[in-house]
Amino acid sequence: MTKVNRRVALKVVGTTLGAGAFAQAMAPLREWARDLSLDEFLQRHYRELDKEEMERVLRRLEEETAAEYGRDVHIRDVRPMEDVQFGYALNLSVCIGCRRCAEACHEENNHDRATNNSYIRVLEMDQGSFDLEQGNATYDHEVPAPGKYYLPVQCQQCDNPPCVDVCPVQATWKESDGIVVVDYNWCIGCRYCEAACPYHARRFNWHKPELAPEDINPDQAYLSNRIRPAGVVEKCTFCLHRTREGRLPACLEACPTGARVFGNLLDPDSEIRWVLENKRVFVLKEELGTRPRFFYFFDE
Amino acid sequence: MQELGAAPGLPSGRVIIDGSRLGGVPSGQLDALGRPRRVACVSCHAQRSATSLPDAAGELREFHAGLTVRHGELHCSSCHDDERTHELRLASGEVLPGSEALQLCAQCHGPQTRDYRRGSHGGMRGYWDLSRGERRRNHCVDCHDPHEPAYRGGHPVHPPRDRFLSEPTHAPEAPHD
Amino acid sequence: MGSSHAATYPRFLWQLFKLGFEGTWRFYAWMTVLTAVALVGANAWAHQVVEGMGLTGMSDHVSWGLYIANFTFGVGLAAGAVMMVIPAYLYDDHEMHSVVLIGEMLAIAAISLCLAFVLADLGRPDRFWHLLPGLGRFNWPISMLTWDVIVLNGYLLLNLHITGYLLYMRFLGRKPAKRWYLPFVFLSIFWAVSIHTVTAFLYSGLGGRPFWNSALLAPRFIASAFITGPAFVILLLQVVRRYSDFHIGDGPLRTLASVLRVTVLLNLFMLGSELFTAFYTGGAHATAAKYLFFGSHGKHGLVPWIWSAVAFNVASALLLHLPASRTSKLVLNVACALAFVGVWIEKGMGLIVPGFVPSTLHELVEYAPSLTEWRVTAGIWALCLMILTVSIKVALPVLSGRLGLQGTAPARSPAHPNPTRAIPPTEPAERSAAPVAE
Repeated sequence: MTKVNRRVALKVVGTTLGAGAFAQAMAPLREWARDLSLDEFLQRHYRELDKEEMERVLRRLEEETAAEYGRDVHIRDVRPMEDVQFGYALNLSVCIGCRRCAEACHEENNHDRATNNSYIRVLEMDQGSFDLEQGNATYDHEVPAPGKYYLPVQCQQCDNPPCVDVCPVQATWKESDGIVVVDYNWCIGCRYCEAACPYHARRFNWHKPELAPEDINPDQAYLSNRIRPAGVVEKCTFCLHRTREGRLPACLEACPTGARVFGNLLDPDSEIRWVLENKRVFVLKEELGTRPRFFYFFDE
Repeated sequence: MQELGAAPGLPSGRVIIDGSRLGGVPSGQLDALGRPRRVACVSCHAQRSATSLPDAAGELREFHAGLTVRHGELHCSSCHDDERTHELRLASGEVLPGSEALQLCAQCHGPQTRDYRRGSHGGMRGYWDLSRGERRRNHCVDCHDPHEPAYRGGHPVHPPRDRFLSEPTHAPEAPHD
Repeated sequence: MGSSHAATYPRFLWQLFKLGFEGTWRFYAWMTVLTAVALVGANAWAHQVVEGMGLTGMSDHVSWGLYIANFTFGVGLAAGAVMMVIPAYLYDDHEMHSVVLIGEMLAIAAISLCLAFVLADLGRPDRFWHLLPGLGRFNWPISMLTWDVIVLNGYLLLNLHITGYLLYMRFLGRKPAKRWYLPFVFLSIFWAVSIHTVTAFLYSGLGGRPFWNSALLAPRFIASAFITGPAFVILLLQVVRRYSDFHIGDGPLRTLASVLRVTVLLNLFMLGSELFTAFYTGGAHATAAKYLFFGSHGKHGLVPWIWSAVAFNVASALLLHLPASRTSKLVLNVACALAFVGVWIEKGMGLIVPGFVPSTLHELVEYAPSLTEWRVTAGIWALCLMILTVSIKVALPVLSGRLGLQGTAPARSPAHPNPTRAIPPTEPAERSAAPVAE
């Protein structure tokens, strides 16, 4: 009888210790759960939010940014324009590889300052070769270097986007104007899209982005450049908070050589249409069938 | 500043060409923002006119001394009017005000002018949709010094600093083994 | 009858639950060690959730690492357990029939492992509910990951049902009704193949990743699953035999070893086919293989891993084809352990990681798991072993008839064609007084 009692007592002690140790092991989660508001946790998918709900979400996000980053920002929900299909082209003959586009992207889109994150990666390539393996993204010398040309790569806004297909929760989709967007409040962070994208266009927030208040671009949109939460995937949106209001994307404005051409593919008089119709245009990795909206061309 | 002349098929609306470098030469001094201070031609040439254009850049005196010209086989008089030296001259002999330099460049650089007019050459800012706002464009001379037009590069900005990326490669050669 | 189940089923569960806390000092010591490791893993994961996935060694270039590698391996382990179901039910192997439930419980533990690794890999585990059909937005049928969610959870439910039903019937001392388990058993055979096929399709369907974009990937996954499953079960059965009084003959071990002899060769053959295609053709499709096996541009992070895997797999194939593997348990066990570890490396550091190196823009950024990843990984494996240990431990007394509705149940009549009929009928009665794991 005493043996049985001792056994029971041991089990009780053991179970209590185990439960206590478990609570201790999971202790970091308590603080994290406190920061996670119920509204944020229960927020519906972007496309299920009606106007009023969207308004509440935007104001909440603005309050969160003010509280966490110390900057008053304005976050809008910018919808696609009627009769507009965006296209982008890049002239490899005049690009000099100065990376000002990558820098402008970094500043416009409120990227994490520590990692120099940018949606644009510029590869230095050997003239006469299109072998990406010979490319180099970390070049650090005077440009343009002899015998080299420069290949900036960003989201190609594919018409057949593999990243959208693989997302298990529809957190990323193609908008009616051709831009592939991410709902940063719906993404579960599985990074399957990152594995699926053939253009290294997607970025994951490995940490909460770090930005000083004065570095923050306060002109923000829900689907584009608002400061992303940790643990979600983000990508180039052709600066939809600018372009859906008629403005040029930040990377184009920063380009000193005018290598970049942006516009409405449906407008026959647009610059982008003229390039597509008159230049030797190609797309990256055409054989994959992704049908990019981003084109490259050479002068004759 | 000027408006890009209307051409068939070009978007309507306001496209403004910057061209702040037109009608002047660098003074060798910097302004408060550290940019080269330019002096308008008329500052001197309103009162005095050069006797005649030199044959080569080396013969330039005073304000223009030390100017390097590396622009194909061109001579001073290929672009500057012999008499009104602060004005330009087309190959046809027609005298052109400095503000119309685009036309002067265009007589040799046809494809570039075509691309420029079609928006696929030269930097710009503003609106792609001209019904919503204006667009500001660089002038030829904003990027190409007419006397030494080869585009000057520079050191690239914003190197990638991703997680676990190797150190940047410094030499242009041998980024890979 | 329904009302009686309402009374007896909770009793059945309660008895099993109680049994889960009973055992020898060895059992307590083993469970304590596993609990400690699992807690270390839980703590590391909690830190990862709070501070971000930056605590891992992953990057935008190598965006999946140790977690997804172990997930993939775990799916193979779960699918491999079906290699006991096929002989038991399709070929009516009586000896296998008596131990097939152990294989199904391994499948349950392995699927739990997979689900835990997927959860560990999520940047936003708090949004897990977005994956739930009905509540979230389930991108089915386009996303292969949604297929994986379906087949993995389906496989888990199938195996929970089969083992639960058979054990419960055994507990009641009743003959299981075939219609309540046989269709599910046959379904589980197809399902086992499907879970690893779908998992292979996750990778092979990505056109931007030439290293994975191969039609051979799914067959390779199946072959390697039929290595890890049998190899693990051969070791597991010997452990169960040693530390319990449950009778396990050498028959199942022989059968599984025979399976293993074929699958180790098949796996090596398919690996060789892949490598031939890559290296003979060369070009962009071979760059990942070149980096994996020989290093590239001065970077060699995966070279030791893959050559270890090849050495282990070749050594286990050689050992398994020595006559000694039939007579010496040591030779067989070493071969099994080598095969298990060999496939673990081959599917992780040898398959998931090189899919990302070089990146899609051919940048060569290397990956090495961080301490956080190793801790979480060890923790999840400990959790899986806890599930396996407890489930086998509580199932054995029911299977052997010692634990039943009437307390110490009488020996089952051998005339009943039930899954445990190969157990000598007198044994449980004789040993019924002994503690379970003594």
